[in-house]
Amino acid sequence: MSQPLIEVKSLKMYFPVGNNLFGRRKQLKAVDGVSFDLYPGETFGLVGESGCGKTTIGRAIVRLYKPTEGQIIYRGTDIAPLDEKAVQPYRQKMQMIFQDPYASLNPRMTVSSIIAEPMKLQQVPQAEIDARVAELIGQVGLKKDHMNRYPHEFSGGQRQRIGIARALAMQPEFVVCDEPISALDVSIQAQVINMLEELQQQMGMTYLFISHDLSMVRHISHRVGVMYLGNMVELAEVEELYSNMQHPYTQALMSAVPIADPDLAAQTKRIVLQGDVPQPIDPPPGCPFASRCRYCKPVCREVKPELRQIGKEHFVACHL
Amino acid sequence: MNLLEVKNLNTSFHIGVGTVQAVRGISFHVEQGESVGIVGESGSGKSVTMLSVTGLLPDYAEVRADAITFDGRDITRLNRKQLRAFHGSEIGMIFQDPMTSLNPLFTVENQLTEPLKIHRGMDKKSARARALELLKLVEIPNPEARLKQYPHELSGGLRQRVMIAMAIACAPKMIIADEPTTALDVTIQAQILELLQSLKRDSNASIIMITHDMGVIASMCTRILVMYGGTICEQGDVREIFYGAKHPYTWGLLNSIPKVHQARGEKLAPIMGTPPDMLQPPAGCPFSPRCRYCMPVCRTYMPPVTQLSGTHRVACHLMHPNAPRIGRED
Repeated sequence: MSQPLIEVKSLKMYFPVGNNLFGRRKQLKAVDGVSFDLYPGETFGLVGESGCGKTTIGRAIVRLYKPTEGQIIYRGTDIAPLDEKAVQPYRQKMQMIFQDPYASLNPRMTVSSIIAEPMKLQQVPQAEIDARVAELIGQVGLKKDHMNRYPHEFSGGQRQRIGIARALAMQPEFVVCDEPISALDVSIQAQVINMLEELQQQMGMTYLFISHDLSMVRHISHRVGVMYLGNMVELAEVEELYSNMQHPYTQALMSAVPIADPDLAAQTKRIVLQGDVPQPIDPPPGCPFASRCRYCKPVCREVKPELRQIGKEHFVACHL
Repeated sequence: MNLLEVKNLNTSFHIGVGTVQAVRGISFHVEQGESVGIVGESGSGKSVTMLSVTGLLPDYAEVRADAITFDGRDITRLNRKQLRAFHGSEIGMIFQDPMTSLNPLFTVENQLTEPLKIHRGMDKKSARARALELLKLVEIPNPEARLKQYPHELSGGLRQRVMIAMAIACAPKMIIADEPTTALDVTIQAQILELLQSLKRDSNASIIMITHDMGVIASMCTRILVMYGGTICEQGDVREIFYGAKHPYTWGLLNSIPKVHQARGEKLAPIMGTPPDMLQPPAGCPFSPRCRYCMPVCRTYMPPVTQLSGTHRVACHLMHPNAPRIGRED
């Protein structure tokens, strides 16, 4: 494969939460040492349950957060330690599409000013902005007469299109799609997914596609990483992962997805996990999944398994 | 025997700018011990239908129906007091968001014993014993401690289990679950679905499952109603809907989810356009503006219901003997 666009190396993102009696700060380990590469033009799917740190990774890469530790190497430059000002030029090339199209658009701005805003910030000449907005509106399947309307006049699917147009305004190389379809109706989800795929083919962008919808992730991604409690537990190419999953958590996660086919659903045996996801505040040593794992051995509770390669482009973090 | 029978239900909301016709003339029934799924997009009227049946809508809603009978009684004739006695004891409801439907100011014990005291006239001690039993039934670990906790101390999955415990507290004949797992993670969703199924097996209650997730329907329900624009466009048993659907909207729903064996790079087949505005629903078939097979007649006349088998019913003009023969595309 070619040179990676972004290399994430043992990224850690801790958030301080409260003080205990002796003044020692507790830490919420949202992301606890995750490494992976993103290659140009690929879609990397990141799956896991709420609270596993997938959104935090996305936000850390576009530097909405300053990582606690680790490197984010973008085209050879480590952007993790850069300050606000130094990171600005990289932000243009990295954009984000948010989950909730209701909350992520300013209700007091018209569609055209929402889409134009990133360009205004980068001091693009006004004439160029106007032409570009018109072009973007067409690209995401909106009409010209939508330009001067406000977000509340649009449906969820159309708002998500506005958000996408804004993300594309600066012609980014890398877009973090953070649950872009989970707030949308099923029939609209497919429209947005198809559009994201077409735009990728036209513009050759790299996507980090964050979702808990495993069937959509399978549909759109080239490679998929499975996260649990701030750790990457399995990473593989999409077909390899879905046909030959190794980590017990991946297996349970996949089997929990309801299958939209009654005959197939009747044949499939579900692995139902017991209990809830533990809190990532001061987690115990050992494998993060140990408390819910069917195959847990004594070693799992003591030593944290490293991500190791078990096949071509297939990595698993498990003692088994 | 039909536990619930709804005939020609119309529900509209009078709001400032006009009247939203959320449900337009639907009829259906639910048999004892059956699990029925209602699928549809937001605004298709699926939740409003069930809220109309249970009489839980606000005053500005207008519910008209030829009849809504539950267990042989016409519930449209019940007054407020009778309706109160009926809720909770005969129908249990589980809502989508357990955080907003549990009262944050009361402990689990308070909320769980309330229906028992009201509907079953239990005293504090026996209600508490029953509440403990219920928490065990919904597989909540360490139930004694949980009884004393407040909703914010519980995780989403546990809250939904408490909701289910409340819904089944008085052994209702029917449970209505409105998107019970939408707010939950997949592994927790699997736990809750498993729980609902085992509760149903043990109690022989009927379940109405309202959802937009075809996967949940496929594994949980025996019969399906597909709703669009306030009408039922197709209904049938699970196999008739998944393998023999006749309505273009049902095809659209089934085609817009990625298939298990679908190769990467294959296009999804979305339904173009957006759902209708129920302030001014289109004349004729509500799906006609988005339908690929729309004929002139579809825009003017509401399609009649065609009975294809004992259970399978479709409302589409394509069923007319003179209409073109069109099958589902993959």
